Amino acid sequence: MFLRLLWESFARQRRRKILAGLAILLGVTAVTAMLGLATTIGDRIHQELAVYGANIVVYPKADTLDVKVGEQSLKPATGNAYLHEKDLEKLRGIFWANNITGVSPELRASLLFARGLDQRTISVDTVGLWFQHPFGSGITGAPQLHPSWHLQGAWPTPHPQVKDGQYAVVLGSTVAKRLGAAIGDDILLGDSHVTFDSTSPTPAIAADHAKVVGILNTGAAEDNEALLTLADMQDLAELPDAVSRVEVSAKTRPEDAFARRDPDALSPKDRDVWYCRPYANSIAYQIREAIPGAAAEQVRQVEQSEGTILERISGLMWLISAAALLAAAVAVSAAMATAVLERRAEIGLMRSLGASKGRIASLFYAEAGLLAMIAGVGGYVLGSVIAAALTASIFGQAAGVALSTTMLHAFNPVLLPVVLALALIVAVAGSTASIRSALRMDPSAVLRTGA
Amino acid sequence: MKMVSEAQRQHAEAMLEHAMPVIQLVGVSREYASRSGVVRALDDASFTIGAGEWVAITGPSGSGKSTLVNLLGCLDTPTSGKLTIDGEEVHAMSGSELDRFRADKIGFVFQQFHLIPYLSALENVMLAQYFHSMTNADDARRALERVGLGARADHLPSELSGGEQQRVCIARALINDPPILLADEPTGNLDAANQKIVAGILRELHAAGSTIVMVTHDPEMAALAQRKIALSHGKVFCHPVQHVVVKLAQ
Ligand SMILES: Nc1ncnc2c1ncn2[C@@H]1O[C@H](COP(=O)(O)OP(=O)(O)OP(=O)(O)O)[C@@H](O)[C@H]1O
Ligand SMILES: [Mg+2]
Repeated sequence: MFLRLLWESFARQRRRKILAGLAILLGVTAVTAMLGLATTIGDRIHQELAVYGANIVVYPKADTLDVKVGEQSLKPATGNAYLHEKDLEKLRGIFWANNITGVSPELRASLLFARGLDQRTISVDTVGLWFQHPFGSGITGAPQLHPSWHLQGAWPTPHPQVKDGQYAVVLGSTVAKRLGAAIGDDILLGDSHVTFDSTSPTPAIAADHAKVVGILNTGAAEDNEALLTLADMQDLAELPDAVSRVEVSAKTRPEDAFARRDPDALSPKDRDVWYCRPYANSIAYQIREAIPGAAAEQVRQVEQSEGTILERISGLMWLISAAALLAAAVAVSAAMATAVLERRAEIGLMRSLGASKGRIASLFYAEAGLLAMIAGVGGYVLGSVIAAALTASIFGQAAGVALSTTMLHAFNPVLLPVVLALALIVAVAGSTASIRSALRMDPSAVLRTGA
Repeated sequence: MKMVSEAQRQHAEAMLEHAMPVIQLVGVSREYASRSGVVRALDDASFTIGAGEWVAITGPSGSGKSTLVNLLGCLDTPTSGKLTIDGEEVHAMSGSELDRFRADKIGFVFQQFHLIPYLSALENVMLAQYFHSMTNADDARRALERVGLGARADHLPSELSGGEQQRVCIARALINDPPILLADEPTGNLDAANQKIVAGILRELHAAGSTIVMVTHDPEMAALAQRKIALSHGKVFCHPVQHVVVKLAQ
C-alpha cells in the first residue's frame, strides 16, 4: 500500500515535481561537474605543471660515492660521482612507486662537434637521456617529463639501430644553426681530449660519426645542447651504467607544515604517518633509501605552485557547489510548499483515518527522496558529461587526451553515492519546512473547508 | 423546541446511564481565537450517547455542529471540559495516542467525501486499513459490496457519482469496525435518490449495532435518528428527553 500510495502520488502534480526535480538535477549537475573536475584536476594540473620540469631530482651524493668508473678519460659536468642506471629499477619498489609518473636519467659531458673534418668545430654540452624507455608497465624518458619540448624529426635511438653504426643525435636549435647542420646530415663528434679546433682538424680515428635525426627547440638551455640516448652517451664517455642526475615526476600531496618535518626527528608513529603520505619530501626520502649513494630533493617551486593552485581551485569549487545546492534547496522548498498546500485535504483525511504525523511525513519524504534519486542520477550523468567536456576543453589539448577517454574517466562511480546523498539532503532539507507546516495544520479545519 | 430544564436534563442522563454510554461530555467547550476575539464554537456541552444509539445533531449554520463532531472524532481537543469515549478520557490524551485512538474507534463520513483522487475505490478503502493495521483487499471488497459498490471497486473517484463516492466513504469508515460512526452532513451533497440509499445503509448499520452520530440539516434524515441534539450558538439547546425515553422503551 505504501508503495502504491507513493507511486500514485509521485505521478501527480507533475509540473511542480518536474520543477523541483529540475532544481535538484541542476544542483547535482553542478556538483558532479565540480567534483568530477576536482578529482581529475589534480592529475591534470600535475601533468600541466610537468611542463616546467620534474618535481624531484636525484643526484649522486659525492662524498660517500664509490662508483667504479672505467677510465677517467672525461671530465663530467657534475663532478666525479655517478649513480648506476640499473639502480633506477629500484624506484619501482618504493612505497609510493605508483605515484611516480616519469623518470628521466641523464649523463652529461662536453663533446666537440663538427660538420666535417675541415669544418668549424664547436664544444657542445651533450646529454644522454632516456627516450621511450620501458619503465614498469609503461614508457618514460625526457620527452614525457618535458611535454613542451618542440622536436622536428625523431628522438634518437641507440646507435646499433642506426645504419652504418652511426650515433643518432638530436641537436638543439642554436647548435644546429652554429654547425649549419640539418636533419639527415652526418656530423663528427669526439670527446674534448681530442682537441680538434677550426685550424687543425683532428685525426679521424678520434672522431665518431653521428647522424642528426632531429632538431630540438625549447627556448631554454636545451637549444644550446645536443641529445643522445643514455646508452650512447655512456658508450661515448666510456662510463657504462653511469647517470649523473635523474629527474623524477611524481604525483604528490601538496606540501604542508608536517611535510617539512625531518622524519628522523619524528616519533616512530609520526614518522610512519609521514612516510606513508605522498609528500614530495617523503618520496624523495624513499628514493634516498632505495638508491645507494643517491641524494634526492624535491624541486620546490613547481611543487608549491601545484599545491596552491589546487587549493584555490578546490576552494572555488566548493563554493560553487554549495551555492548550486543551496539554490536547489530553495527551489525545492518553493515547489514543495505549493505541492503540499494543494494536498492539505489529503493530509487531513489521512489524519482522520488515524495516520500519525510520522507516517504522513514519511510518505512525503519518500516522495521527495524518490524525486531526489531520479533527479540525482540524471544530474550525475549530465554533470559527468559536462565535467568531461570541461576537462577536455581546459586540459585536453595540452595533455593530449581524447574526449572519449576523458568521458570514460568522468564517470567516476565513487561520485554517484556522494551526489545521490547530496540530492537526498537537498530534497529533504527543501521539503521539511512545508511538510512540517502541513502537519501542524488542524486536520478538522482542513476537512471543513473541503479543499 | 424549548429549552430543557436542568431537572429534565439530569433525568435524561440518568436514563441514558443504563444504555452504557460510549460518548460522554461533561462541560465541554471549544474556543477559537480569531482576529475579532474569541469564538465559543461549543459552549459547556454535557450529554452522553449510549452504545448503539443513532443521534442526529441539528442546528443552524455556525451553531457548532462540525466543531462537536470533530471533538467526538478526536480530530480536535476541547479547550475545557471532560470528554470520554469508549471509557477513555480523550481530553487528556497526547497527539499520538489520539491518532491511534482515532484509527481504532472512529469512522468518518464527510459531506465532501474526501476520497484520494488517484486511488481506486478499493484502494481508498484499503487506505483506512493501511493506517489502522494491515491491508486486506478481500475485506475491502466485501465492505464495498456491503454498500452496493462491488462492481465499481476499481474505479477512480472521478469515475463515480456523488452518491457512489459517499458510499465508498462509508465503506472506508466501516472497514476497521469502529464502535462509532461520525457523519457530518453525509447527504448534504446528494440528491434525493442517493440520500435514500445512504439513509438505507445507515439504517442497516444501526440495526447491526453501530453507534451513529450524524450532523444533518435535513428533517427527513434527522427523523431516522432515535434522538436529536440541537445546537444553537454553541449551546446544546434542545434535549428531547421524551423522544429518547420513548425510543428506548420501544
Ligand atoms: N478553525 C476555526 N477558527 C475560528 N473559528 C472557527 C473555526 N472553526 C469554526 N469556527 C467558528 O465556530 C463556529 C461553529 O462552526 P461550525 O463549523 O462548528 O458550525 P456548523 O454548525 O458546522 O456550521 P455548518 O452548518 O455551516 O457546517 C462558527 O462561528 C465558526 O465560524
Ligand atoms: Mg459544519
